[in-house]
Amino acid sequence: MTDDVDVLIIGAGASGAAFAWSMADTRMRILCLEQGDWMNPGDYPSTRRDWEVRQEREFSPNPNIRGLTQDYPINDADSPISPLNFNGVGGSTILYAAHFPRPHPSDFRVKSLDGVADDWPLDYAALEPYYAVNDREMGVAGLAGDPAYPPHQPPLPPVPLGLAGETMARGFNALGWHWWPSDTAIATRDYEGRAQCVNLGPCKSGCAQGAKASVDVTYWPVARRAGVRLRTRCRVREILVDDRDMATGVVYFDEHGIEQVQRAEVVVLACNGIGTPRLLLNSKSARFPNGLANRSGLVGKNLMIHPWGMVRGAFDAPLDSQRGPLSCCIWSQQFYETDRSRGFVRGYNMQITRGLGPVATARMGLARGDIPWGAGHHEAFARRYGRTIGIGICCEDLPEECNTVTLDPALTDSNGIPAPKITYRLGENTERMLAHGLARGAEVMKAAGAWDVYGEGPVRQTGWHLLGTARMGEDPERAVVNGWGRSHDVKNLFIIDGSVFVTSAGVNPTPTIQAVALYIADAMKQRLANLFD
Amino acid sequence: MIASPNPASALTAAQLQTLDAVLNLIVPPSADGRMPGAAEVGVPAYLYIEAADALPVLGEELDELERRAHARYTRGYASLEQVERIALVEELRAQTPGFMNRLAMETLACYYQHDRVFEGLGMETRPPYPKGYEVVQGDLSLLDPVRARGKIYRDAP
Ligand SMILES: Cc1cc2nc3c(=O)[nH]c(=O)nc-3n(C[C@H](O)[C@H](O)[C@H](O)COP(=O)(O)OP(=O)(O)OC[C@H]3O[C@@H](n4cnc5c(N)ncnc54)[C@H](O)[C@@H]3O)c2cc1C
Ligand code: SF4
Repeated sequence: MTDDVDVLIIGAGASGAAFAWSMADTRMRILCLEQGDWMNPGDYPSTRRDWEVRQEREFSPNPNIRGLTQDYPINDADSPISPLNFNGVGGSTILYAAHFPRPHPSDFRVKSLDGVADDWPLDYAALEPYYAVNDREMGVAGLAGDPAYPPHQPPLPPVPLGLAGETMARGFNALGWHWWPSDTAIATRDYEGRAQCVNLGPCKSGCAQGAKASVDVTYWPVARRAGVRLRTRCRVREILVDDRDMATGVVYFDEHGIEQVQRAEVVVLACNGIGTPRLLLNSKSARFPNGLANRSGLVGKNLMIHPWGMVRGAFDAPLDSQRGPLSCCIWSQQFYETDRSRGFVRGYNMQITRGLGPVATARMGLARGDIPWGAGHHEAFARRYGRTIGIGICCEDLPEECNTVTLDPALTDSNGIPAPKITYRLGENTERMLAHGLARGAEVMKAAGAWDVYGEGPVRQTGWHLLGTARMGEDPERAVVNGWGRSHDVKNLFIIDGSVFVTSAGVNPTPTIQAVALYIADAMKQRLANLFD
Repeated sequence: MIASPNPASALTAAQLQTLDAVLNLIVPPSADGRMPGAAEVGVPAYLYIEAADALPVLGEELDELERRAHARYTRGYASLEQVERIALVEELRAQTPGFMNRLAMETLACYYQHDRVFEGLGMETRPPYPKGYEVVQGDLSLLDPVRARGKIYRDAP
């Protein structure tokens, strides 16, 4: 038995860190248990000549490929998209691209505006102050004035467009379509002790420069200075409850693999859209035979992963496209808001990405037959390397109960804890949206002057965004947590990660995950005297 | 540079000889001498370190090439003319889906991380960190027409 705490956070990723930082000023005893370790930026692939191969192996975003002891396997055989993550202090922000768009106000009113899914119990205006705080704490770069958004002012200037961004901007202008420099969680100037981005490129395998806002270098140092404790290599197996349906703490395996019990007054789940339902489903008891906080039956249901299309175009002119933050450049929200004449509701963001490194260029060319064996290899490589630009099509997928996280009957992690299995398929609306996005992506590539364009989707290794599996809502029959993250069934259990999303919007989710975590922290602080009423 | 322990424990001397003859078919040296061939960048050592799991299948593929060379030309693969080598590999790749695909993928990984290749491409032989790269900021006046068109988001109730 270890010492009791007031607030126990499980998971030290994007949401757990923001929440811990916000709660620190309560001076309560706050502890975070994280199954992974601290990262050493000196070990990141970009410090090595063989960075391209390293980022496919021990820094792969796919836990089934990475296979580190702190990872848990995920059975993804029943899904065209593989879930991706990272397990360590910083969570998936260690590998994320830091593309940092907010959703639109309409994203919180999907039912009212478009007659599909459900409205959120909160809205853009309620979250706006928390987006702003998060932009400041993470150090977000961008350009104010984007007509796709209500006004907001990113604290840092935007990442460079580069020749690639300019080329695409001209293509969008030729078609009369919207584009804007992306909001990105990357320090474009020295910021709060972090050095400015030096355009290394491989942000998605960890930023050795410390410019990218992974939460191990943003929220965590501040939260720990303010007294929050963080215990690494501690993997929670189960949340304990008493016969009054109150959580009493957790059982976890410590760094030596020894089972420990941690008591707590409040338990906060921040394990992401797969880790959180997994832990709830693993916490079965006589009072919760279907998993903790699951009287609605919705834990693990409504998984949303943002099916992703990828369009690439090759250009004649050298663009140095492999330089600069890989996935952050410009975006287009021309097709974001609903227009029923397109044959689907809701919409997608176009995320312009830069070119690939030499190994990835050559391998992709070989796989597609563009860069052959033997004669012609060098000429074909030269026509693509540094001259290729990508467009990611981030499709909003709507919640469907058939898309699930369940427990795999056989698979376990290194502590023997049952591992998750996902069952996922694209909805019809999403299929039509994806096809539209791929076609529009090809159109703008050609307008920008590409001599070769190809697209595919859904791309398998793109399950970055894990959402919806413990949704929020005021009706306990239709939601797992209420409008401020408290479980309907267990009144001292809170969920603060992307599991609580009611709908997914058509943009990368982390600004919203963190804004929601900060919002829930404030809601709890305002109600401390009667938190469990 | 990639370290080079002896890969002989996994592939036989004969297989290594055949491998050496295949590598330049994947990436030949460039006509102007700027780019080396794949046989010059230490692929066997790379395979041994980074792709040991691929060696058993690769060994079988190399044996098959050798058998065909003897059957057709009554000589070992390594002693064939270039056109004969190409003909045999292409024949096998057409007949057997995936034949030597893994070898080709690993060869490209080794090749495009090698100093001589970086030099040939006119790139500095260093990791991205700590020096990084210059990227032009770009012309933000390109946004004028986007601004002029005005607001495109919906208000929500
Ligand atoms: C390669 C990649 C690129 C991405 N790019 C972007 C992007 O550009 N923009 C964007 O907005 N989003 C991006 N994302 C998604 C983004 O990283 C996530 O949305 C975000 O990190 C989710 O935050 P979270 O707190 O919910 O979970 P995570 O950040 O995943 O953190 C969860 C933490 O919980 C821990 N944990 C889980 N289970 C347990 C347990 N039982 N016991 C103890 N600890 C546990 C995990 O180890 C992990 O550290 C990307 C993700 C990846 C993988
Ligand atoms: S491009 Fe910038 S943010 Fe990305 S890894 Fe390099 S220094 Fe970090």
